[in-house]
Amino acid sequence: MTTDYGHDLVFGTFVTPANRPVHQAVEQAVVADRAGLDLVTFQDHPYIAKFHDTSTLLAYAAARTERIHLSANVTNLPLRPPAVLARAIATLDLLSGGRIELGIGAGAFWDGVAGMGGPRRTPGESIEALEEAIAIIRGIWDTDDPGVLAVRGKHYTVHGAKRGPAPAHPVGIWVGAYKPRILRLVGRAADGWLPSIQYLPNGLPDLTEMNRHIDEAALAAGREPGGIRRFLNIGGHFTTQGRGFLQGPPSQWAEELADVALTYGTSGFILASDDATLTETFAAEVAPAVRELVETARRTHGHE
Amino acid sequence: MSSYGHPVRFGVEILGGAGAPGDAVSLAVLADQLGYDLVSFADGVEEGDADPLTLAAWSAARTSTVQVGASRLRATARPASIIARGAGSLQLLSQGRAMVMLGAGTPAVDLDAVEESVAVIRSLHDTARRSRASHSGTYHRLSGAEPGPSLEQEVPLWVHASDAAGAGLAGRVADGWTVDLAEVDLGGLETLSAVVDGAATDAGRDPREVRRAVTVTGPAALDADALVAMVVDHGMSLFVLRADGAAAGVSQMRTFIEDVAPAVRDGAERALPPGALTSRRLRRADVRARRRPDIAYDEVPEDLVEMAVEPGDAAFGKVRSTYLRGGNPGLVLRPRSEAEVADALGFARQHRHLPLGIRSGGHGISGRSTNDGGLVIDVGALDDITVLDQAARLVRIGPGARWRDVAKVLQPHGWALSSGDYGGVGVGGLATAGGIGFLNRKHGLTIDHLRAVEVVLADGTLVRASGTENSELFWAVRGAGANFGVAVAFEFVVDEVDEVGWAQLAFQAPDPAAYLEAFGRVVADLPRETTPFLILGQGMAQVMAMVDSSDPAVIISQLQPFVDIAPLVQQQVVIAPYAAVMNMFPEAPHDGRGEPASRSALVREITPGFAAASADLIRSGVSHWYQIRTVGGAVADVASDATAYAHRDTRFALTVMGGNAQRLDQWFEPVRRHSEGLYLSFESDRSPDRIADAFPPATLARLRRLKAQLDPHNLFQDNFNIAPTQDDTRSAS
Repeated sequence: MTTDYGHDLVFGTFVTPANRPVHQAVEQAVVADRAGLDLVTFQDHPYIAKFHDTSTLLAYAAARTERIHLSANVTNLPLRPPAVLARAIATLDLLSGGRIELGIGAGAFWDGVAGMGGPRRTPGESIEALEEAIAIIRGIWDTDDPGVLAVRGKHYTVHGAKRGPAPAHPVGIWVGAYKPRILRLVGRAADGWLPSIQYLPNGLPDLTEMNRHIDEAALAAGREPGGIRRFLNIGGHFTTQGRGFLQGPPSQWAEELADVALTYGTSGFILASDDATLTETFAAEVAPAVRELVETARRTHGHE
Repeated sequence: MSSYGHPVRFGVEILGGAGAPGDAVSLAVLADQLGYDLVSFADGVEEGDADPLTLAAWSAARTSTVQVGASRLRATARPASIIARGAGSLQLLSQGRAMVMLGAGTPAVDLDAVEESVAVIRSLHDTARRSRASHSGTYHRLSGAEPGPSLEQEVPLWVHASDAAGAGLAGRVADGWTVDLAEVDLGGLETLSAVVDGAATDAGRDPREVRRAVTVTGPAALDADALVAMVVDHGMSLFVLRADGAAAGVSQMRTFIEDVAPAVRDGAERALPPGALTSRRLRRADVRARRRPDIAYDEVPEDLVEMAVEPGDAAFGKVRSTYLRGGNPGLVLRPRSEAEVADALGFARQHRHLPLGIRSGGHGISGRSTNDGGLVIDVGALDDITVLDQAARLVRIGPGARWRDVAKVLQPHGWALSSGDYGGVGVGGLATAGGIGFLNRKHGLTIDHLRAVEVVLADGTLVRASGTENSELFWAVRGAGANFGVAVAFEFVVDEVDEVGWAQLAFQAPDPAAYLEAFGRVVADLPRETTPFLILGQGMAQVMAMVDSSDPAVIISQLQPFVDIAPLVQQQVVIAPYAAVMNMFPEAPHDGRGEPASRSALVREITPGFAAASADLIRSGVSHWYQIRTVGGAVADVASDATAYAHRDTRFALTVMGGNAQRLDQWFEPVRRHSEGLYLSFESDRSPDRIADAFPPATLARLRRLKAQLDPHNLFQDNFNIAPTQDDTRSAS
C-alpha cells in the first residue's frame, strides 16, 4: 500500500540549541540557510539549563538568516502561555518576512515543567490544553474576524483578548504526536504532523496506522487529509558502505527517503545535525535526489 | 539631593510595533548607529502589540553596541522562569547587552508578581550556589529547577514604577528604577526618589545601587537644562526617549542623541564636582553579603574592578573551581595586561594572610589555582599567540592561551610545540613546570623550547629573563617557575612538525606487572619519533602514542612492538595534525569538587620491583588513574643543571591519582621506593620530602637562594613551594 499526499518535499535540520559555545546553534542555522535547506528547527526544553531559550534563539537565528524557515521542534506548550506565544510567533513571522512556523507539543518531562513553575498535566489534560491553545493561537492571528475572541477552556481561558498581530504568512501549526487521541487532534486542528523516527515503537511501519488516525479525524471534521503535511525527524550518518537505514552514501539515503515519501506520504524530512558537513551533504546530495526520485515516481504512477 | 555617581546615559523606548514590528527594529538599528546606550521595547503584549522579547532578540542580532531589552514587561503574562531563560540567552547571544525592565506602573500589576519575578530570575541566574532553585510564590514558582545559563554578567533587572508602592519595591530589590514623566511631575519625581532611597536604606542597601532612569517625550525631552537638573537634583543617570515609528519620531531620536545628550553631559559635569559621575562598580547588598572576611574589596585597584569576580557575582560559578579541585575563593582578579598583573600582585601583597592562587588554564595540581576564601589571579585574558620571527620559528604566547589554541595557530605554518596530553591545559602553568608531551622524546620538554620569558615578580617588577638577561631566573622558570612570579609572556622556538601518526591501542592486561615490564622493554629500544603514554587499569591497558612521522610505514613499524606485547582488543591509528590530537576533546566548564590526591614518580627503568609494586597498587583499587608518560630521548640531551627540571635521565613519568590521599600513600609508598624523583606538576603532597624528590640538592639550594632574592617573603607559596633560604645569600656567595 502506498500513501502520498502530493506535497512538494521540504528538507530541514534539527539543531541542538546548546548555549555553549554561545553561537554554535546560530551558526548551524546559517549553515543550513546557505546550504539551501528549507527549514531549521530547535527543540524547546526550558528546564534544561544548558540549552538556549528556544524563543530567543529562534528570533536571533531568524535575524541572521535570509531564506530558511524556522520552527521550534517542538514548542513546550505548558511553559509558553498560548496568547503570548501566538503574538511572539506572529511578531517574528512579520520580522522575518514569513519564515516562521509553529511546531508545538502537548508537553513531556513533567517534573521539569513543574520545576519551572508550569502545570503538571495528565496525557488527557495535556491534549485538551493543546486543543484549547490552538484555538486561542488561531484566534489571536485571525485579525479579519471582527468577533470577540473568547475561548473558555479547562486550561486556558481568554475573553475579549485583542487580536493580532497577524503573521505575515499562514503559519503552519505542526504537532508532535504519537498516540491515537492526539493524532486525532492533529487531524481535527493542525496543519502538520511532526513525529521523530526514534519514538516510533516499531519503526517506519507505525506511520501507516498513525496516518490513518489523522486522516480519519480530518475527514470526520470535514477537512482534507492532504491538507495536513507529514514531517519526520530523522537521524543518520554518511558512510561509504551501506550499514542500515540512513547509514550509507547519499545515494542510498535518497532511495530510502524517496521510499518513505511514497510509502507513508512523508513530505518533510528533518535531519538531526550539529555538523556543517552533514548538513551540507544532506542539502546538496540527498535533497535534490529525493525530489527527483519522487517526481519521477509520481509521474510514472500517476499520483496527483 | 545629590547624584548617585553614575555616568549619564541615553536610551530610547520603542512603543507598540503592533502593525509593523519591522519599523520597531529599524529604530533599534538606528539607535545603535546613533550611539544610544539602550534600546528597549515596551511590553504591550496584552493589548495585542508585538512581543517585546522577540523584538529584543531580533534586534540583538542586528546591532553591535547598544544594550537591548524589554521595558514595562508584564510580570504576570509569562512564567518568570521563562523570562529568566530568555533574558539569559539574550545576554549570552548579545555578549552582555541584555536588560529587563519589569513594569509595576500602568496598567497596575500586582507588585508581588514583580517582586517574585525578580527573585525567580535572580535565583535561576545564580549558578555559583550549585543548588537547584526553588521559590514558592503566589504568581511564580520554582521547585528544584536547574539554574542557568551561566553568565559573565548578571542581566540588570529594573522596575518601572510611578507610584510609591512600586518605587518602594524598586528601592528594595531592583538594580534600577525607571519612571515616566508622562505619569508623574517633577514634584512627584522628587517624592518617589525619596521613597526609593528610603526603601533601599531600610532594606540594608546603598541607595546608589539603584540606578535611576526617567522616560521623556515631546518638548520635555529637548529641554537639556531640565534634564541636567534631574541629574543634579534627583540623581537620574539614564534618560529614555519614548519613540514611535513616525518620521517625527526619527528626527527627534537624532536631536535627542546628537544635541540634547552632549548638552546634558556637559551641563551635569559643570554642575557637579569633578569626577562625580565616574564612580566605580557598585555591587548590590545581597552580592556584597557573600563577600569573605579579610579582603579589602573596596580597595581593588581601579583597572581590575571591571573584570574582578566576587562570590556573589554571576561569573563566580565559572571561575570558582578548577579542573580537578573544588574551590571557593574570596576574590578572583582577571588582569588583562602586565600592568594589571602588577596591580593584582600589589593587592595580593596587602593580603599575605590569605591563600593566593595563580590560574592560567585551571588544570594545575601542585599549583593551586583556587582556594577557600583567598585570592586568585586568573591570567586567562593574557592569551595572545603571535609569530615573532617566521624564519626562526619564534612564537610569543601569553600564559592564558590554551595548548589547543597554540596548536591551531601553529598548524598552518607546519609547526607544533609539544605540550601535555590535553589541549584544554593552559600555557602558563605547564610552561613553568616542564611539559611532558606527546613529542617530548623527539623534541624535548616544552620548557626546552623556551628562549625568553617575561615575569612579574612578587614586588610587582616586570622582568625579562633569557639566556643573556636574568639568566638565573630563566634557569629557575624552567621547572620551578610558579615560585618566582607570574609569567606574562613566553617566547618559544617551535618545531617543524608535519602530520603525525596518532595511535590509541587497548590491550587485555590481566597481569599488570608483566605488561609493565614488557612495555618497559619495548620503550628501551623505541626510536625517538615515538612517544607513548600508558594508562594501566585492572585487567586492561591503553597506549596512546604519537609518532612524529607522516609515513605509514614508519608509523606501523614503530608501533608494531607494542602490538606484540599483549592481545589487542581495540585499535585506532590515524595520520593527523598535532592540532587535531590537541583538539580531540571539547572544552567543558571546570567544576572540580574536593581536593585531588595525586602522586608522581620518575624512574629510569621499569624494574621488576617497580612493576610488582605498581601491580599491587593497581589491584588495591585505591587509584582510579595510573598513567606512565615516557620521557627520555631529547629530554635527556639537556644537561641536568641547565634547567630547574633536573631529572633528565629518567625515562618514565608516573602519575597516580586516588580519592583518598592516605590510602593512596599506603600503596604508593612501595612504588616510590623505586623512583629517582618526581615531576612537580602531578604531585599534590606538599611535604618537604617531596620537594627534595623534585629537586636534587644542588638544584634545590640554587632555587632557595634565588627565592630568597626574588620572593623573600614567600608571596608565591600555594604551589610546590620552595622555602627561601634564611641566611644572607649575597654574603654567602
